[in-house]
Amino acid sequence: MSSAARGGEPSDADIIARVLGGDAEAFGLIIRRYEGGLLRYATRMLGSADAAADAVAEGLVRAYRHLAGCRDPSRLKSWLYRIVGNRCRSHLARRSSSDVSLEDAPPIVDGRDSEAETERADQLERVERALQTLSPEKREAFLLKHVEGLSYEEMAAATGERIPTLKMRVHRARAALLEVLKAEP
Amino acid sequence: MKPIDPLVNRVLDGELPPEVLTPAQRAELARLDRVATLLAEVPPASVANRVMAEVRRPLPGVVERLVRWFGERHTVTISVRPAWSLAVAAVLAALAIIPGRAPAPVLGSQEGIAQFVGRFPGAKSVEVVGSFTDWRPGAVVLRDDDHDGVWRAAVVLPVGQHEYMFVVDGEQWVTDPLAGRFVDDGFGRQNSLLIVRPVSR
Repeated sequence: MSSAARGGEPSDADIIARVLGGDAEAFGLIIRRYEGGLLRYATRMLGSADAAADAVAEGLVRAYRHLAGCRDPSRLKSWLYRIVGNRCRSHLARRSSSDVSLEDAPPIVDGRDSEAETERADQLERVERALQTLSPEKREAFLLKHVEGLSYEEMAAATGERIPTLKMRVHRARAALLEVLKAEP
Repeated sequence: MKPIDPLVNRVLDGELPPEVLTPAQRAELARLDRVATLLAEVPPASVANRVMAEVRRPLPGVVERLVRWFGERHTVTISVRPAWSLAVAAVLAALAIIPGRAPAPVLGSQEGIAQFVGRFPGAKSVEVVGSFTDWRPGAVVLRDDDHDGVWRAAVVLPVGQHEYMFVVDGEQWVTDPLAGRFVDDGFGRQNSLLIVRPVSR
């Protein structure tokens, strides 16, 4: 979603100005706009729906309290992914890899009432398992690029890494994912 | 690990159109597209209510915190960081032996005294904001009574880990260089980290 106003919706800059002007409820518009992507990103990073919800909730509260520090409202999206990414990294640092549980990940595909849905759910499970075999850095780079649709410039703002570093991580993540999926039965 | 053909990577990075790829390379591209599509499902969860409850929650003011603290029964003295332990002990000892002074506060088992000291010559005001003030100013104000540029404050904090920063003249956020521990604040800067631990009795 661009920061510019589209289809009558206020821009990110407008919403930020309203919140900083005292209209705390307007922060709900920012939540509505970015919550889905942030939850998806954190869930894929952590492999746990509960941990992801904590990371996103903590990140959004933090963003609200530091909103005045968001010097460039047009980069709000990168800023939010940076905050939530940091929460995810803290969470990953606190727990051992053995704590990562795909069983804890949400059953995003619910409807198993058809063969196609069942197959899709199986595929998703395989992909999620393959994703968890990547290092957090490669996983983060792949998710930001291919799932969250950030440009390399936005990724650099969100991670604090240089663009060539991010490109290398994305390239290696692609190759590693294909390799793992190819090896799966 | 077999690397992906550089052409496929360049197409995926938006540098080349897909038409440059061979059928085999396009199949590789399609597999990665499929992976991204599967992962693009949005979890059916929401944290909106939880976040907005925090946004709406009023913070207790300084007076309210002080009234609450003095109204409670406190029994244990707790040190802060090792570097400050001696200073805290000295302050408590001084408070105990100076006649006519109020007795040192007696702390609860889950509280400690944190001393904040910063050198800011020429500053008009210095305060501390942190996780314990929900990052709002106005709760912990430092003083420089002898005008030597060294600002000080002591506050009672719950046992645990707290992030904080100095705010100088109401606008300049400064990391405490003496903190010893730091944590990324998510905005490209570092918060100082303070750990309040219970002392053994």
